Amino acid sequence: MIPLRNRVFGPAALSFPTWAYVVFFFIIPVAMVIFFSFGYKPDIYTAVATDTLSFDRFPEAMTPAFMSTFFATLRISLLGTFLCLLIALPFAYWIAVKIAPARRSLALALVMVPFWTNFLVRTLGWQIILSPTGFFSEGLLALGLTQERIDILYTHTAVQIGVVYNYLPLMILPLFVAIDRSGTKLREASYDLGANKVKTFFKVTLPMAMPGVISGCLLVFIPLNGDYITATVLGGASGSMIGQLIAEQFNSAQNWALGSAMAVVLIAATVIVVGVGFALLKIGQLIAAKANSIPISNGRV
Amino acid sequence: MAYTIRKPLTDRFLNAWGILVFMYLFLPIAVIVAYSFNNGKVLANFQEFGFNAYVSGLENDVIVATVFTSLQAAVGSAIVATIFGTLGGVALAQAKRGVWWAVGLTVALGATLFTPEIVDGIAFLPWFVTLGVDWGLTPFNDGMVRLIVSHAMFSMAVVTFIIRARLAGMNRQLEEAAADLGANVWRRFRDITLPIAAPGIFAGALMSFTLSLDNTILSSFVQLPGSTPWPVYIFAAVKVALRPEIAAISTLMFLLTLIALGVCALALRKTGGSSTEIIKTMAG
Repeated sequence: MIPLRNRVFGPAALSFPTWAYVVFFFIIPVAMVIFFSFGYKPDIYTAVATDTLSFDRFPEAMTPAFMSTFFATLRISLLGTFLCLLIALPFAYWIAVKIAPARRSLALALVMVPFWTNFLVRTLGWQIILSPTGFFSEGLLALGLTQERIDILYTHTAVQIGVVYNYLPLMILPLFVAIDRSGTKLREASYDLGANKVKTFFKVTLPMAMPGVISGCLLVFIPLNGDYITATVLGGASGSMIGQLIAEQFNSAQNWALGSAMAVVLIAATVIVVGVGFALLKIGQLIAAKANSIPISNGRV
Repeated sequence: MAYTIRKPLTDRFLNAWGILVFMYLFLPIAVIVAYSFNNGKVLANFQEFGFNAYVSGLENDVIVATVFTSLQAAVGSAIVATIFGTLGGVALAQAKRGVWWAVGLTVALGATLFTPEIVDGIAFLPWFVTLGVDWGLTPFNDGMVRLIVSHAMFSMAVVTFIIRARLAGMNRQLEEAAADLGANVWRRFRDITLPIAAPGIFAGALMSFTLSLDNTILSSFVQLPGSTPWPVYIFAAVKVALRPEIAAISTLMFLLTLIALGVCALALRKTGGSSTEIIKTMAG
């Protein structure tokens, strides 16, 4: 018999406040959104009604305009995640391996600095840089690289630059942790066994860093997919993302049922993309395992 | 590598890459700081150097009020998220493998991380109306309460997982030894668990403070007139006209955060935690 005191203070009871908070302020409200997506908008003064439920909002949400924005959003987030990974991987490796340990804390602190300035303000900085009269354009003109002012503000390119910038630290940090954790011993062993740098990187460092790659991709892709702040500041109307359309339904159109249906589509898409990503990763690992790599691909020593 | 004399090509590439990435990371911040000294009327159009934007920004009651709203919400939600997240993290770390409530809580908190912020925003909006208006729970009609509750939910998973990770490697025998020596539950928590979890708790609090200060999407849905936070104010200004005051106040806030962080780093050094350790804890 467990003493009463241990039951009251045991881990299950300890988790109760957190549980209650999550149920009350996450599960119930999100369940409400899903429920609303089966409702309808009865008249212009009412945001939602749920007396008759149907799937009608989903086809209504998936108009050609919505779908094109939807796929544009997916393209921006997938490409953004990939570019973040591409930029962050050598950088995280550089900090974890090449920088002297004494200066590593400083380098990491510097990576964190953009975090401490407001997300929106940083994006405004890009707005100034990318505007036709901004530095970027002036600089290219002065260098003679272009003949006329480049006009990329309020385009997909500007949004892409902005999102890669905004989410880059979220990719760098988990990658750094993973590479740092793997330590120098295995890499040195690989050199001793005659592998060159490139081979060591792809056969030892990268497989060891895989958990960091996964968490970094998740940390970047998920918020990016729902982001519309960057798109509003740098993309104007043309670079609009799915989040903007959902927000519109709640803020101006006051059609909660339709907005909820769009939100459900967004969640489903996020889950599907992440699921497909994991499936591809598993397949890749199986193939890699077959192709005689060093069997430490699950990232544990 | 110590055994090569000439720096290999890959090293030179990595050094150049690292410096380029740092420049990329700092470029827009430098631009904002530079443009905060713009005496013109429009942010992006640099007229002449001066401190007008600082003066008029600090004299603008609306701007000052939104900054204070943001700071209050950030402190409040950091406290709430840290308390609930610490309890959750300690509970998860002590749970037996595969217990239903631990798996369930991990999944539920994981789901909060998977949910796009916009969905949280549209979910909170009707829910707060239901709670405050329909059910008569008047605190939920207060803009600050709404901001704190929603921001805390947004960062609770981060805090919980940071603390669980921090305690995962903890030696359970320490607690058992303390129990054998007659320490009760509270003393074991205070003298063993809490000090071990401390860097995690600190990192979690810092993280939720920052997340709250940065939060725009969620805030724009749950805010009420009179409790507009700073990012939402800027976001509204983006659609109308951006004035140099925004850059000036942002620069001041940036300086304040850097000073606060410096103080935190010093305090941590006293307690023995290194900043690398904290950042590692933060990143999971």
